[in-house]
Amino acid sequence: MKKISLVQLKPKHKGRVAEILGGANLQSRLMNMGIYKGREVTKVSYMGLKGPVVIKVGRGILALGHGIASKVIIEGV
Amino acid sequence: MIKKIYLIGNPNVGKSVVFSRLTGVHVISSNYPGTTVEISKGYLRIGDEKIEVVDLPGTYSLKPTSAAEEAAVSLLQEYKKNEIAVINILDATNLERNLLLTLQLIADGFPVIVCLNMCDEAGHKGVLIDTGKLEELLGVPVIPTCAVTGAGIKMLIDKIKDAAPVAREGFAGQERWTEIGAIVEKVQHLSHRHHTLREMLEDASVRPFTGLLMAAAVVYASFKAVRFVGESIINKITDPIFIELYQPVLEKITANLPEKGFWFHLLIGDLIGGKIDFKQSLGVLTTAPYIEFGMVLPYVISFYFILSLLEDIGYLPRLAILLDSIFHRLGLHGFAVIPVLLGFGCNVPGILATRALESKRERFIAATLISIGVPCIPLQAMIFGLLGRFGGFYVTGVYLVLFSIVLILGIILNRALTGYSPEFLLEIPSYRFPPVLTLLKKLYFRVKGFIVEAIPIVLLGVLFVNVLIYFRLFDAVTSVTAPLIHNLFGLPKESVVALVIGFIRKDVAVGMLMPLGLSAKQLFISSTLLAISFPCIATFVIIWKELGFKALVKATLIMGIISVIVGVLLNFAIL
Repeated sequence: MKKISLVQLKPKHKGRVAEILGGANLQSRLMNMGIYKGREVTKVSYMGLKGPVVIKVGRGILALGHGIASKVIIEGV
Repeated sequence: MIKKIYLIGNPNVGKSVVFSRLTGVHVISSNYPGTTVEISKGYLRIGDEKIEVVDLPGTYSLKPTSAAEEAAVSLLQEYKKNEIAVINILDATNLERNLLLTLQLIADGFPVIVCLNMCDEAGHKGVLIDTGKLEELLGVPVIPTCAVTGAGIKMLIDKIKDAAPVAREGFAGQERWTEIGAIVEKVQHLSHRHHTLREMLEDASVRPFTGLLMAAAVVYASFKAVRFVGESIINKITDPIFIELYQPVLEKITANLPEKGFWFHLLIGDLIGGKIDFKQSLGVLTTAPYIEFGMVLPYVISFYFILSLLEDIGYLPRLAILLDSIFHRLGLHGFAVIPVLLGFGCNVPGILATRALESKRERFIAATLISIGVPCIPLQAMIFGLLGRFGGFYVTGVYLVLFSIVLILGIILNRALTGYSPEFLLEIPSYRFPPVLTLLKKLYFRVKGFIVEAIPIVLLGVLFVNVLIYFRLFDAVTSVTAPLIHNLFGLPKESVVALVIGFIRKDVAVGMLMPLGLSAKQLFISSTLLAISFPCIATFVIIWKELGFKALVKATLIMGIISVIVGVLLNFAIL
């Protein structure tokens, strides 16, 4: 399965986090909120115009800024 | 012997509500992460002891990644671990994400009591948690609560004494999440629910098309509601009280005072057509109370009612998502909409709320934009009251001018200041329908806060100005500045007094304009200038305290320059 970023994942589609590009600080921020390698996420929406991406992780809903979302690499399930 | 009790938990799990329940100290709580930017303290009585309780800002982890989290974590280390009790508050509707902090606290040897909050909501959502089993797996006491109604709080208090560090085998890093997964698997039972209307609305509000439609509807309806409720209070309650009850009493009391005397001037002011005119007399007993209670207070009540409703429902984080890309152009991210909205009530809490933004650069941009382009509700109320007579066009005009200033200034600041804008990363809460009592209580505290802070300043301010006017001390200033103010802004020389008073309070300043008989254009220019120029003294102090003297000077310079440019532009180019 092709790897794509969270921005590119289609709304209402699921995927598994394959990789988080970016520094240790971003990785630990995301890790603290429950986004880490291997975690399954569902995309809710993307605002367009370099706006945020909204995802479901477990029972929670998170909004990620465009920059962060494009660093979260997903493989489809 | 416990010296301190700390409340710690993820953002938006209801720490402040639990805190209020434990200590009786009211703190503002809302349905979005990061409501608590100040650390509140209160006392809890257990038996004969009085123990201090500290409400910490929300944190996802003991390894802090933001300033607020750092503050929370460093406070935890003030005392030795055997001298404190840590109440870890969890959101039962999202147990998995909350357990990371719990496991870290236990592993680090803190004496932890788990308070499983929002149990009733979890039940509604079909989430059932076996607390006995969770207690067994964690090794620490677990108490289910619903802080909004108070259920379980007594049991929580009884258990505080039992808090003790436990030895527990655990993992670190990503393996901790695997462990959490296993715990959740054992204690949480989900019953399948169909998509509810609420969930559909939650999703629709964060999709591009439906989201924007909903945002437009919500903003429009809120604005209309604030004006409708405010005007209704004025027409149905405060105006009748002032004119039918207060005025006759006032006339009787002052019947014996000579009309041109000092005391008459001070207390009643000038008679307009032989009668007291609450809008124009300018006395300490006439216009001063009328401004605060008859013109401003009704809008303070209606504004905070609508704001509190939006906060508690949980709509604001969704608005933040929708506005993120616009705010990025201004060097901010979407979360800044929350300080901005608070700023529409009063700039002070708005600027305090910028603490939830990550960098100093962002805080400077946000604070400057708020103090220049966001008029507080007392000022807005006065603008409605004065400009409203000339038609909605002028009122809308003031907002449009301010909005353009915010956009242009934000874009300039974003380009001119070195640094970068951090990215948005926010948890989005579920919609909740707050109990009416909770809402009214919050409204009561906000309105009370306004009355306590504003009334003395307004009375003293009007008193002070009246003394100055009576002894003609303003004349020197007004005649020096007259050519400037007249030629540049097209305003009469007396309006300088109002602009100066604006430094004390904006509502009084607009009040000073009332007797001047200004034209619509002059009122439009002076209200806009008052909104942009010097923030009131309270805002001044808070910018100094929060961002330092240098930032204050910079912000003030920017204000000065923009006031002159906008005043001149409006005077010559537009109208």
